[in-house]
Amino acid sequence: MNLAEQIRNKAKELLESKTVECVIGYERATDGLTARPLFVYEPEEVGKLIFDQTCTHNLVKYLLNRRDKATAIVVKPCDSRAINLLLNEKQIQREKVLIIGVVCPGIVETSWNQTSEKLPARCQLCRQHTPVVYDFLVGETPPTEPAVPKPYADIVEMEAKSVAERQSFWAEHFSRCIRCYACRQVCPGCYCSECFVGQLDPLWVGIRIAPSENQVWNAIRAFHLAGRCIGCHECERVCPVNIPLMLLNQKLEKEVGELFNFQAGLSAEALPPFATFQKGEKLGIGE
Amino acid sequence: MAIEYQPKVVGFLCNWCSYAGADMAGTSRICYPTNIRVIRVPCSGRIDPLLIIKSFQMGADGVLVAGCHPGDCHYTEGNYYARRRFALLRPFLDYLGIEKDRFRVEWVSASEGKRFSQVVSSFTEEVRRLGPRGIAPERAVL
Repeated sequence: MNLAEQIRNKAKELLESKTVECVIGYERATDGLTARPLFVYEPEEVGKLIFDQTCTHNLVKYLLNRRDKATAIVVKPCDSRAINLLLNEKQIQREKVLIIGVVCPGIVETSWNQTSEKLPARCQLCRQHTPVVYDFLVGETPPTEPAVPKPYADIVEMEAKSVAERQSFWAEHFSRCIRCYACRQVCPGCYCSECFVGQLDPLWVGIRIAPSENQVWNAIRAFHLAGRCIGCHECERVCPVNIPLMLLNQKLEKEVGELFNFQAGLSAEALPPFATFQKGEKLGIGE
Repeated sequence: MAIEYQPKVVGFLCNWCSYAGADMAGTSRICYPTNIRVIRVPCSGRIDPLLIIKSFQMGADGVLVAGCHPGDCHYTEGNYYARRRFALLRPFLDYLGIEKDRFRVEWVSASEGKRFSQVVSSFTEEVRRLGPRGIAPERAVL
């Protein structure tokens, strides 16, 4: 039985027994190639559900619109960490969510009706092929997780550049930003009812078209996800001007790992690094 | 005639220790560079990293954050949280292309007027050495 069939059977069972109101999964998009999110309410509709390597979306964001309604959701391992993040931050209730975890073969990138042959770099570096949290597992758990020799190769490369080089690198990338906020909309960690960028008084990010305003937005967006980014790469995927946002997020992930020995989304109970402290810790600040 | 470069330094001082320390420097007639623009905040834990990044955007050459010594926070633990936040912000600024030496966190108590003057002097000199920010910050129109 393939992955999609297992998901369909489970979805059907859950909807028929009225355990959940809705199953969030993937269906084939109208282009016949890519996948798109699907909300299944009726058991008859489960046939539309699919799962393959084109299922890139992180669906966990949709749980935030269904906080009080029993929902089943299909998650890949990276997406499953977002569930832990939201549980940790008391945004969703565990008993309202039924998690259908999929053992992920890695996804492919599609653009202009072309599917990439190779796995994207992030899937090649993936250390988690089984979801960290699930109620029902689809697929075979690999016996061992592959060892990744150099997890932050591109970050180390950026760090080796001079400050001036980095400054012009980011200035160039941020100058393209059109501040569409797609990165925020798609991020499971960005759920504030009022974002700092939407405030008018004080006007933190001005409405004029200026590289420096873009810089403030992108810097703070990344910093608000420090110790919270679960690494689903959705922000980078949706960015219409291809800003390498994960270079920012992963830098912070790396630093948080080194300073506080913390990785987001691995547990729903662990205290996030900025919600706690140790009195005697040496962090190289004010010493 | 060339005008000598004067760095712009923004100082966020906590109300209870460092601001009082600056006051102490003043009442004790201890000199310190006038490059610093002091902003009084209730606690170093109040300082959102947004304020730091915004300062740099609006043309600051350096940002100084000063608060109570760890263990002496008026609100018991505000500066511990601040310490964690800024420990992460500093390498991040560097990564974005703002030299990490342009951002400094110091603990200055209410009685350390002399120390406040030393901190401001040494930080201003550091920022002067680094010079103006590479890409000219635009004039703020806020």
